[in-house]
Amino acid sequence: MHSLMFGWEYPPLHLGGLGVACQGLVRGLLSNGVKVTLVLPHESETTDTDVRFPSDEIVQKLRVCSMLQPYNTFESFEANIRKVPKNKKDMYGNDLGEAISNYTEMSVKMTEDLNPSVVHCHDWMTYEAGRRSAEHHNVPLVAHIHATELDRTNYAPNEYIYQRELMGFEAATKIIAVSNFTKNMLTKHYGIAPEKIAIVHNGSIDRPPSPELIEHKRILKKQHPMILFLGRLVTQKGTVQFLEMASLIHKEQPEVNFVMAGDGHMFEELVDFSCRHGLQDSIIFAGKVGSMEAKQLYAQADCFVMPSISEPFGLVALEAISHGTPVILSRQSGAGEVVDDCFQVDFWDTAKMADCVMTILREEPLAHQLRSYAPRTLNKLTWQRQASHVQSVYTDLIHC
Amino acid sequence: MNPRICFYFQVHQPYRLRDLRITEVGQGKADYFDSEKNHQIFRKVAEKCYLPANALMLELVEKYPDFHICYSLSGVFMDQCKEYGPDVLESFQKLAATGKVEFLAETYYHSLASVVSLEEYCEQVTKHVRTTEELFGMTPKVFRNTELIYNNEIAQIARLMGFNGIIAEGADSHLEGRNPNDLFRPPTFRLPAEQEKIVRANRPLQKRARDIAVLLKNYKLSDDVAFRFSDKSWVGYPLDAGTFTDWLMQSGGKNANLFMDYETFGEHQWEDTGIFDFLRELPAIWQERGIQAVTPSQVIADWKKEHTHEYDVHETISWADMERDLSAWTGKHIQDAALSSIYALESQVKGTGNKGLIEAWRRLLTSDHFYYMCTKYWSDGDVHKYFSPYDSPYEAYRRYSHALADLRSRLSA
Repeated sequence: MHSLMFGWEYPPLHLGGLGVACQGLVRGLLSNGVKVTLVLPHESETTDTDVRFPSDEIVQKLRVCSMLQPYNTFESFEANIRKVPKNKKDMYGNDLGEAISNYTEMSVKMTEDLNPSVVHCHDWMTYEAGRRSAEHHNVPLVAHIHATELDRTNYAPNEYIYQRELMGFEAATKIIAVSNFTKNMLTKHYGIAPEKIAIVHNGSIDRPPSPELIEHKRILKKQHPMILFLGRLVTQKGTVQFLEMASLIHKEQPEVNFVMAGDGHMFEELVDFSCRHGLQDSIIFAGKVGSMEAKQLYAQADCFVMPSISEPFGLVALEAISHGTPVILSRQSGAGEVVDDCFQVDFWDTAKMADCVMTILREEPLAHQLRSYAPRTLNKLTWQRQASHVQSVYTDLIHC
Repeated sequence: MNPRICFYFQVHQPYRLRDLRITEVGQGKADYFDSEKNHQIFRKVAEKCYLPANALMLELVEKYPDFHICYSLSGVFMDQCKEYGPDVLESFQKLAATGKVEFLAETYYHSLASVVSLEEYCEQVTKHVRTTEELFGMTPKVFRNTELIYNNEIAQIARLMGFNGIIAEGADSHLEGRNPNDLFRPPTFRLPAEQEKIVRANRPLQKRARDIAVLLKNYKLSDDVAFRFSDKSWVGYPLDAGTFTDWLMQSGGKNANLFMDYETFGEHQWEDTGIFDFLRELPAIWQERGIQAVTPSQVIADWKKEHTHEYDVHETISWADMERDLSAWTGKHIQDAALSSIYALESQVKGTGNKGLIEAWRRLLTSDHFYYMCTKYWSDGDVHKYFSPYDSPYEAYRRYSHALADLRSRLSA
């Protein structure tokens, strides 16, 4: 079985969960004996020589010249373009639409001699490439959806992107959604038939915390408990909701500290908000953190809150759990479908969110049970297992 | 000889907690319970189950001379009847007035007191016996502990309380191949003097009973009705009254004990499953075939002690879950923390003499609160989830811990 895959980010060059998920899936498929050819767009042909994991040597990475960056919007794309020397600019095209069409042309052309059994594309930027490639090879098309435009824009989509997504969903033989939450989004807001959509939750490479860490956290008594947010500072992630919650907690328990890790265009607005609510001495904006820093923050946190307004999955929840940290998840998230031992709250219900945090801080037996039970889900959600679900989607398509 | 049938129904509704917040703790808002939801659920179950089932039972006991039945109503259920359903209470009183319906004793608050606090346990049983006398004009002689929680000690305590019968789960592991339809007795032994003293000081009935019989639930036949009746994948589906009667007759022994939640009729098994028609047909068929349905007291009255087997139960059993032990209510951190914290307040709460405070504390002892906190099979969508009014075991604990924190603050005020 040979999967020709069109991706758009891949570690170590990645900004969000998509790259991590894509890598996990590719590795999982490889270990299950599926041949994978992965096509990736990159800013330059030379930046990604860094292949740190041996199994990825098997992945044939076909690099495509493009300015494409995940989480692109037209505005940020223009900003990127401006940084590029004028002569080079022609190579990428002047707007996002043109860049995508370049990416599509090149990536399809580069793979036209292959002989795949299925074409698999990830999120809207690759859907046109996937569609044309599947047509060319005359094989089934799998459209994987990690995040929709509606998630990213708080239901105010860029029409061009929305149409691209819709085209991909309609062209696909089968759609893989990363959660039931996303499946509902597709049926409700894109008019896709539910039977066309398979759900494969993301896997996790995170391991459960050691019993020593759990025990350490149990006996540790802190003067200043710390509540963590980690994600891009954008509306979608529920940043304002996090601060509303923080200010409610601050009123009751001024000794509690908060950390917001991540960057994004809302940074200034959020700093301003926290000052206006008297949080200036209780909150730290950590900026974008690397994986080592993130690990430390997870481990130090007494509670991790993911208040996303619309979160197709939310890998950060699993990362927090793997550090023995109790989590509170927005009900508008996919991660809540796979984590039993947590609190789930509507993103807008910040009073309840605050109450859950304070309950966890007050009730040690509760915190202990959440820390020690939640990680059980990590043993179930291996990428090898999730990839085998993808593999059975392939099998069904190829044999019907 | 055909076995006789003993039909026993458990009737209970807990007081569910409202969405308490930490900001309310210590603010003097004493009400922990969701009266709107409790009212709403009570009325829903009343319409679907209690009223139609009681009407049918009344019709059947009046029509068939050999048809007797038996109930136990938890005290918190009787309280809710007064609050939300005088019509329901009245329909039970009509049944009591026929003289063909027995009412059993249990812990007033449907609590786990039997395994935590002997004194509270005795007080709750006493309160339950007095209330049953008051509402139904009869003194219970047979005891059923919360969710059939049972061990040798519980049986002996019930005897010392004055009961001559107790009902329990017929657990395979303790039956050792014997038929649950036979009558059993617990091993004879003396409780520590300290315990005997506590029971003596709080005895619900006038004097201790000389002997106590154990009636065991025939879980196979009971669950055929309670759980499997509408299960289309079950080999016995659809179950008709004739076939079920055949099974009863084949089950042997002296009396087949069918013990189940009363809510089976109309609530767990909806009316459209045909459960009421099934129930209606049973006594007709039984009369035709000469089978009597009797009460536990009638079974015990015919009891010859020398013919009974010993039911020797050292570890505690119950009728809950596959495990049939205490793991539906205890064993997880949050359950154990909640349970030990609430009972730790016992003497302090009682010491205040404040009736409202004591009542609130006791309503928090109801086993359902701990059942909702069970994470055993939560993810598999099992019965705990089905029965829980909250969206997760942690939500159950969150609300409960706020009620506890508020109780503590009232005590220290």
